[in-house]
Amino acid sequence: MNTIELRNTLPAVFAGREKNESEVWLQNISFEKGKHYLVLAESGTGKSSMCSYIYGYRVDYSGQFLFDGVDVRSLTVRQWCDVRKNHIAYLPQDMRLFPELTALENIQLKNQLTHFKTEAEILPLFDALGIADKVNSPVGKLSIGQQQRVAIIRTLCQPCDFILLDEPVSHLDEANNRIVAELVEAEAERQGAGIISTSVGNNVKIKVDKEFKL
Amino acid sequence: MKGLLWKLLRKHISTSQLIGFSIANLIGLTIVILAVQFYNDVLPIFTDEESFIRKDYVIITRNISSAGAIMGNSAEFSDEDIADIESQPWCRRVGRFTSSKFSIVASIGGGSTPMIRTMFFFESIPNNFIDVDSTSWHFDPQNPQVPVILSREYLSLYNFGFAATQGMPKVSEGEVSSVPLNFTLSGNGNYDMIGGRIVGFSNRLNTIIVPDEFMRWANARYGTGEVQQPLRLVVEVNRPGDPKMQAYMDAHKYNIAGDKMASSKTYYFLTLIIIIVIVIGVLISLLSFFVLMLSIYLLLQKNTKKLQDLLLLGYSPAQVSRPYIKMVLYINVAVLIASIVLMLLARSCYLPMLREMGTKGGSIIPALIVAVLIMGAITAGNIWAIRRKINSLWIQD
Repeated sequence: MNTIELRNTLPAVFAGREKNESEVWLQNISFEKGKHYLVLAESGTGKSSMCSYIYGYRVDYSGQFLFDGVDVRSLTVRQWCDVRKNHIAYLPQDMRLFPELTALENIQLKNQLTHFKTEAEILPLFDALGIADKVNSPVGKLSIGQQQRVAIIRTLCQPCDFILLDEPVSHLDEANNRIVAELVEAEAERQGAGIISTSVGNNVKIKVDKEFKL
Repeated sequence: MKGLLWKLLRKHISTSQLIGFSIANLIGLTIVILAVQFYNDVLPIFTDEESFIRKDYVIITRNISSAGAIMGNSAEFSDEDIADIESQPWCRRVGRFTSSKFSIVASIGGGSTPMIRTMFFFESIPNNFIDVDSTSWHFDPQNPQVPVILSREYLSLYNFGFAATQGMPKVSEGEVSSVPLNFTLSGNGNYDMIGGRIVGFSNRLNTIIVPDEFMRWANARYGTGEVQQPLRLVVEVNRPGDPKMQAYMDAHKYNIAGDKMASSKTYYFLTLIIIIVIVIGVLISLLSFFVLMLSIYLLLQKNTKKLQDLLLLGYSPAQVSRPYIKMVLYINVAVLIASIVLMLLARSCYLPMLREMGTKGGSIIPALIVAVLIMGAITAGNIWAIRRKINSLWIQD
């Protein structure tokens, strides 16, 4: 997958609004593989909605999302599963971890689907993010900030053309923010992937090719 | 992967609900297949299905009234009577019974001092009305040996009447068949001793039947040559118990041999009761099916968030439904096997009683097929519900 395009898209809840100052909604924009994008938004402007449309689990919008020119509404369930396993690595804002599983098990649940990283590659990521001692703790027992780091590791455990991050560092301090940025950029570079990150203020410290104001 | 997935998805599984379903379904299914099996096992008793004569053959005689007997009215069927019966729409063909026209003395038990000596008679019907292996049902004058089919009632008469009161040993059908039998045939200046053997017992042929070819040979050799009209007819009918046939028989004062009508009423009630039992069993199965459906829906409902999160990770709906489908399969196969075992256990309790009544019991295949079909339908319904529910979680609007 080389491009993700938005054509005149608008979440259904925003329909009928007269004023549109968004650089994303009701515009024609495209995200290209290999480039880094930051989507800046205020709360309630539809940033998580945009992510869920791109990831195919919500369809309450008008206009079109295109993957390499193909309308995503035409994708089958099987194709979506392929997108989720092999083309777009997604970190949802609410992380969607399984609290009863340990941190490592949460990551294995994804990695066993993609077979992308070995345990020997995964454990250093825990180290790098300062949660090496939490590997075998149930995620439900971790703090939000720790959970966010586990979720980031899980996001990196798959082949992808785009890394889609919905407020990836909202609960992280400056130092961890920088580490996350380094890990994500390194992974993106290794795979030649693009990065699309959203933020309401606490931006992940990646190099950005283009910014959109939502 | 399987381990982790199951660890996640087994949460909220209600063991008590599943046990409830299993027991209810076990009871329902066992009732249904036991009823089917019982019906199959008992059917031969009521339909008189036996190897010698098919159930669509009825044997008719003329009513003998005391007045008629005094007046010398014949119990014979005239050629016109037979032609009239043949012209009836319910009749396919008519066979005549031929009686022996010579003296017969039968002695049972070998050696010089036979156990029983008795006057005897024979009748025969055309071979094509009798379903017996033709190698055992024939007569060769060069090597005379008479195969005989006896009424089962004669054996009962001997066992429960004669033997019981005279201190004689009771004999089984198998033993009787191996007892040597001798017939002394005489008449027309001829006198011969011929060996015989019982090839079987019949509930429906209330007489002593020998092959037609023997009868012709013996009547020619020992008989007077006088031709007698038959006293009984065997009629192949389109449908046993046809009311039109019954009406005709009543109008002409003919009797249908055996308690065919009585047994057909019993048979009717048996069928009715079996159907009621099957319906009850099916209802229980159906209710248990809904219990499982509800349980599954509740389970999936409670695990909705988890299932959706798995779908977001890239798990396909088929992958996340597989653990639940497997669970349902395991439960249903276990219930299926358990209910078949229960059915066979119950059957082994009543089968000895049926054996005493002279039937070996029917095949268990129909009951097994019914069991697999019902369980297959329930499982298919469960799988369909699981797939449908999980597919509905795909879009999370």
